[in-house]
Amino acid sequence: MFNRAMKFAAVMGLFCAATAQAATSDADLKAIEKQLNTLGDRITRLQDLTDVEIVQHAYGYYVDKAQWRSLADLFDDDATLEIGGKGVFLGKDRVFEYMNIGMGGGGPMGPKDGSLIDHQQFQCLPTIMEDGKTAKARCIAFVMSSGGWGHNYYEDTFVKEDGVWKFKKLHGPFNMYAGYRQGWLDSVTVNTFPEKFQPYPDLPPTVIYLTYPSYYVEPFHYPNPVTGKPMPAPSPKAGGLAFGK
Amino acid sequence: MKNPLRAVPVVLSLSLGIVFCSTSFAQSEAERLTALKARVAAMADETEYVEAITRIQRLGHAFGYYTDKGFFGEAADLFADNGTFQWGVDGVYKGKARIRELLTRHGGGSMKEAPGLPFGRLNLRMQLQPMVTVAADGRTAHARWREWGLLGEYKKAIFWGDATIEDSYIKENGVWKIAARQYYLNYEAPYQGGWAKLAPVTGNWQSAVAKEFPPDAPAPLQYKPFPAVFTAPYHYADGNLTAIQSQPPVDLPKRADDKLGKLEAQADAKQLQLARTHSVRAIENLQAMYGYYIDEGQWKKAAALFSRQGSYEFGQNGVYIGNASIERGLSLMGPQGLEEGQLNNYVMVQPIIHVSEDNRTAKARWRSDVQLSRAGTGGWGGGVYENEYVNDNGTWKFSNLHYYVTFWGDYDQGWGAKPIPVSPPSKDIPPDKPPTVVYQSLPKLQVVPYHYVNPVSKKPHAGE
Repeated sequence: MFNRAMKFAAVMGLFCAATAQAATSDADLKAIEKQLNTLGDRITRLQDLTDVEIVQHAYGYYVDKAQWRSLADLFDDDATLEIGGKGVFLGKDRVFEYMNIGMGGGGPMGPKDGSLIDHQQFQCLPTIMEDGKTAKARCIAFVMSSGGWGHNYYEDTFVKEDGVWKFKKLHGPFNMYAGYRQGWLDSVTVNTFPEKFQPYPDLPPTVIYLTYPSYYVEPFHYPNPVTGKPMPAPSPKAGGLAFGK
Repeated sequence: MKNPLRAVPVVLSLSLGIVFCSTSFAQSEAERLTALKARVAAMADETEYVEAITRIQRLGHAFGYYTDKGFFGEAADLFADNGTFQWGVDGVYKGKARIRELLTRHGGGSMKEAPGLPFGRLNLRMQLQPMVTVAADGRTAHARWREWGLLGEYKKAIFWGDATIEDSYIKENGVWKIAARQYYLNYEAPYQGGWAKLAPVTGNWQSAVAKEFPPDAPAPLQYKPFPAVFTAPYHYADGNLTAIQSQPPVDLPKRADDKLGKLEAQADAKQLQLARTHSVRAIENLQAMYGYYIDEGQWKKAAALFSRQGSYEFGQNGVYIGNASIERGLSLMGPQGLEEGQLNNYVMVQPIIHVSEDNRTAKARWRSDVQLSRAGTGGWGGGVYENEYVNDNGTWKFSNLHYYVTFWGDYDQGWGAKPIPVSPPSKDIPPDKPPTVVYQSLPKLQVVPYHYVNPVSKKPHAGE
């Protein structure tokens, strides 16, 4: 740090004492402009990481309070949604129906006294793709509801349109759902399925799996941050009853 | 508190230098060019610094996703070749191979049938609340984390896990890696009864894993877990505030209407954008730092994170104004440093941070899940913050912290069967002002006002 400060002092000294009137060349200006543009791209990526997380986190706060219209507004018009084993819903309107009918029972929107559905968004790991216009994020929802506990992942895709990041695909595979009294000792829900509740999906589930106490791992969208190696396949002998097909 | 050198003070110094020199005499083009080049170089340093924070957050989050699903070899690969892992008081394990086996044994995996977990095993270890300090040289860093574990075996035994992690990191060949992890286990508490029913630990409390799989070196620090009072050492105990600092606010200078002036103005705009992304990370760190102080009953240190005119409002307790008053307000949660058997975990998660266009102020929504214990009774809580922050000459501070209680609940019966009402203002330590918003907690529910419009549609929140 001191070295850098001294280097700075030297630069400033030189700068204030300078009397030379050498004209700046176009080449100099072009070089700086190029540096600024490269830096600008990196700074934009840093902002993108925050903006993608904001969309994911805003989603969680809207679920908490059954604000299904605001929630659906986070999605692109032709976005898709797939949660648990329920199948795929196509388009923003169907995202709204899944939430309003499937989660909210079709009643009035907004929080209902005595009905806690907190969906806390944890541990987001966003990646901005090379094109700067698409992003993926792995996140956790930790659910504390009137029914008990839930833990699921997200592997979501976002797009940036007119400078605004939004959901292109929300995919929320379950890890564990359990009641309060016994916790995950035995009162668990291994997954939902398409006809379990209304509304019914537009497409079948993209992956069939049972979650805890069975084993399922949603593929990681990113390679190992240190080795750069892609995710290895889980051992076929791990996990017991069900694997993704 | 001493004021350490910031990692990137050059940018400010240059701005001031330019003002100083330009008021002394007109700058030649060559001088302006030299100054601009130096400024761009400083911006490159600062960009790398903010990127480092995001990479380290990514490392920690990746670790959690690997251990959740039994990818213990991949988790160990996040360490440097000579990386170390200190597990509680068990001792220190050295090198990737040993770390892999350590994690496999604690997570209930298999060294042969890997990656993966056997049927019935739950090993969800959420990695939360990073407080990241990158060293001035940009080659090393430290972070404090919280691990919240959902652990155990189906139809056998299940546990809550709680640990504080202090990591050091190293950048090798352009890649950040974990150099040393100190994993301070606070408890693994049986689900029935929870943490509040844990008996004090006496004697050797090394884990069963350590007995079968001895460490390579003893733990440098011995301590007792909850319900004993223990504070994992802070890597910022020396008063280093780098993590909560960004650039001080500056007024954008007017630039000459020539080619170079256009570039100078472009650099000004990028510099401000960079400072604002830097501020987002500083505010994340500030909130995390505050959370760790609250956990440990460090009321004075927590109150020092507020600006002089700052205010603190918790639930229906009313508003406390100014550092001394805020410290009194915080002490409603217990004695300084807490007592044996008191748990005060406020997990700081789910930030939505907006820094003002001029980088002078910020607002953020956060959430806390709360794990409590008082006199052998456990409790759960949850709520939302809507906070305001001020950039105090480069150091971010709270100007207003407001925690809205969503629910309190008895541990044994849960918040559904036994919600606990939010408490009124204290008569013993009265607030400076009554609550700004009057509400009830669960079973009543309401929307905490958002400081932002919908981030995609840009519509205000109305009618739901």
